[in-house]
Amino acid sequence: MADRHQQKTIKTTAFPYGVGIFLCSLALPGLLVAAEGNRVEKTFEAAPNPRVTVSNARGQILVRGWDKQQVHIVCSVMSPRVEVDSEVIPPGGPADKVHFSTHILDPLVSGKDQTADYSLDVPMGTDLEIRDTQGSVKIEKLQGDDATVETVGGAIVVSDFTGHLFVRSIGGNIEVIRAAGRVEAYSITGDLHLVSPATSKLRATTTSGRILFEGDFPDGGDYSLSEYSGDMDIICPPSASFELNAKTDRGKLENEMPITIRHQPATPLSSANSLFGTHLTGKATVSLKSFSGTIRIRQR
Amino acid sequence: MDEIRRHRTAECDRFELELEAYMEGEVRPFVLAHLGECVFCKVVSEDLMALRTAAAELPLEEPSPAVWANVRAQLSAEGAFAEKEGAWSWLWQLDLFRRPVPVAAFACMLALGCWMTAPRNYPQLDTSASLDASGGQPAAVRSMAFASGGTGLEPVVRELEEAFKAREGSLAPDVKATYENSLSSLDVSIRECNDSLQREPDNSLAHEYLFAAYSQKAEVLSSALEIDEGR
Amino acid sequence: MSQQKTAAPKAASETQLVARAQRGDEEAFATLFEMHKRRVYSLCLRMTGNTAEAEDLTQEAFLQLFRKISTFRGESAFSTWLHRLAVNVVLMHLRKKGLQQVSLDEVDSSQDEPVKRDYGDYDRRLMGSVDRISLTRAIAELPPGYRTVFVLHDVEGYEHNEIAEIMKCSVGNSKSQLHKARMKLRDWLRQNEGLMTSGEPVTSDQAPTER
Repeated sequence: MADRHQQKTIKTTAFPYGVGIFLCSLALPGLLVAAEGNRVEKTFEAAPNPRVTVSNARGQILVRGWDKQQVHIVCSVMSPRVEVDSEVIPPGGPADKVHFSTHILDPLVSGKDQTADYSLDVPMGTDLEIRDTQGSVKIEKLQGDDATVETVGGAIVVSDFTGHLFVRSIGGNIEVIRAAGRVEAYSITGDLHLVSPATSKLRATTTSGRILFEGDFPDGGDYSLSEYSGDMDIICPPSASFELNAKTDRGKLENEMPITIRHQPATPLSSANSLFGTHLTGKATVSLKSFSGTIRIRQR
Repeated sequence: MDEIRRHRTAECDRFELELEAYMEGEVRPFVLAHLGECVFCKVVSEDLMALRTAAAELPLEEPSPAVWANVRAQLSAEGAFAEKEGAWSWLWQLDLFRRPVPVAAFACMLALGCWMTAPRNYPQLDTSASLDASGGQPAAVRSMAFASGGTGLEPVVRELEEAFKAREGSLAPDVKATYENSLSSLDVSIRECNDSLQREPDNSLAHEYLFAAYSQKAEVLSSALEIDEGR
Repeated sequence: MSQQKTAAPKAASETQLVARAQRGDEEAFATLFEMHKRRVYSLCLRMTGNTAEAEDLTQEAFLQLFRKISTFRGESAFSTWLHRLAVNVVLMHLRKKGLQQVSLDEVDSSQDEPVKRDYGDYDRRLMGSVDRISLTRAIAELPPGYRTVFVLHDVEGYEHNEIAEIMKCSVGNSKSQLHKARMKLRDWLRQNEGLMTSGEPVTSDQAPTER
């Protein structure tokens, strides 16, 4: 592309050199913030069950559910060479989709100068997709449909969310508090902290981080927690009713709950520590796996 | 029409006819003269120039890694590559590989199927950990896993590692550190699982975690290659 | 929207790479793909306005390229050959979708509503600074015929005689369509400015808005 345009010599004496020096800060469609220390607040009318996406490099993203059929954003940037764009589909009328993205206009802008902080209020039923490379993400009180949150190093905290939650971080810690619906949480080196879930299905995996699960296992729920070398602590009430499949290869398995041993596999996993059994009537299914970490099951 | 607007004149009509040629670089004295007289046509001209400049400066976009994976798979199936042949070559005949999603799903299913049905002496495997470990795995990873020729994710991961090494210099230091830590953690788990399997080839948990570690490593590397950091 | 900066493949002249690819060297294929993928994909994306279609078409373009690579004799630059092939792949796709407007043979009076000739309103000019997000959206909104000409000329840098050859139309037609496409884009961009300015920016020292 560049070579073709370079071949063309523009022979005009009236070329508008002012293209590059316009001072007007008239906001063109999609440009929200482009000035240093600037903070912008906007509200968009939303259709039912809108889809809201945010793509950011650094900075905090906070999303809260509210009872208005609007998407409300407050965002601020550190550097004039950082731009926040928005895209609304359709452009007129209540939005089905609203997309916010941060663009670093100057490759020399680095580190915390790339920061853009977002605070969003979204309607109930919103489909959410958030990507924040090194920034933290917090979601509060949202009855959504689907929520996907991905970071590289940023921490993710989700509380009081209802719906299908998918959170993934390479190195950030993940905390999910009082979620209902379905939860999938993945990290490689980050810790996972799961508190009082009311989910029908929960998958949580970390490689070298820790897993801390505090809460009950609702009837009929399917819970699967897995880590490689970190420790896993399960703290549940005496009333928790679950069927347990727990195994670790080189780690230890420590259990304080009165488990009725169901059976041992016909061919035992070689050097694994394992425990297969039922607590009370076994209404939920709980699978705990570790390779070299310790699994501890404790009563609250 | 708004009262403040000028009425178009025949000169404006002529201006519009000649504007495109003028913008192409042709000498058009009439256009130049009219620009000096008509503020409205001047605005139009400036706007169109700005548009053209912006269009020429639109950045190039990057396709997903799935594109090459699918191209490579299809060419391999057609025997375009001189050296590539193997036991899995019959699979490339399947029409599935024209589309990334079926490729991804098929690759995942095939890899797991082969792994599960391999002759080993242990009870029914619970592969949920493996599936969880590959949860949200991008289609590119799965199709590249398949492109490696079957269950072995190792070649796929190696390819991704090379691509990552070529790219890592452009990542921000803290982002790079996060990736390196996670890759290091996964490498430890791969090493330990392999050690375990050397001593106990039938260790199902080690098999499970080894597969999961490779899947996760491919996923992490793919993520690093897809990251754009807002630029 | 993404702009990834992948490292350049190892230096090897394109002629050598093509020669190696003609002999079935997989690495040469991969390198050629790496060198040209962004340009081809961007072209497909801008001509279709759809990422999924653009990826499929990019795949198709490279597949056709590599299948036909043995026929490349070096009469033109490899990149030119590839680019022309990609354009044809996209146009074929658009024609198959029944988008008859892609043909520019007839004088265009049928493509959507007539381009407005709104010469008024000096204060609402584009101010010479068009942000790429808006422009990308605006291009996607163009009817296919206008979009093709605009993308080929203003984005990709084709000359009108080349466009005329590709699109099987006259040079005059190509120029006329380009002008109309630009005017349509201008109108769209000006109209959509107003929709987005729903609030005044607040300064950073003001208190956060209460919910």
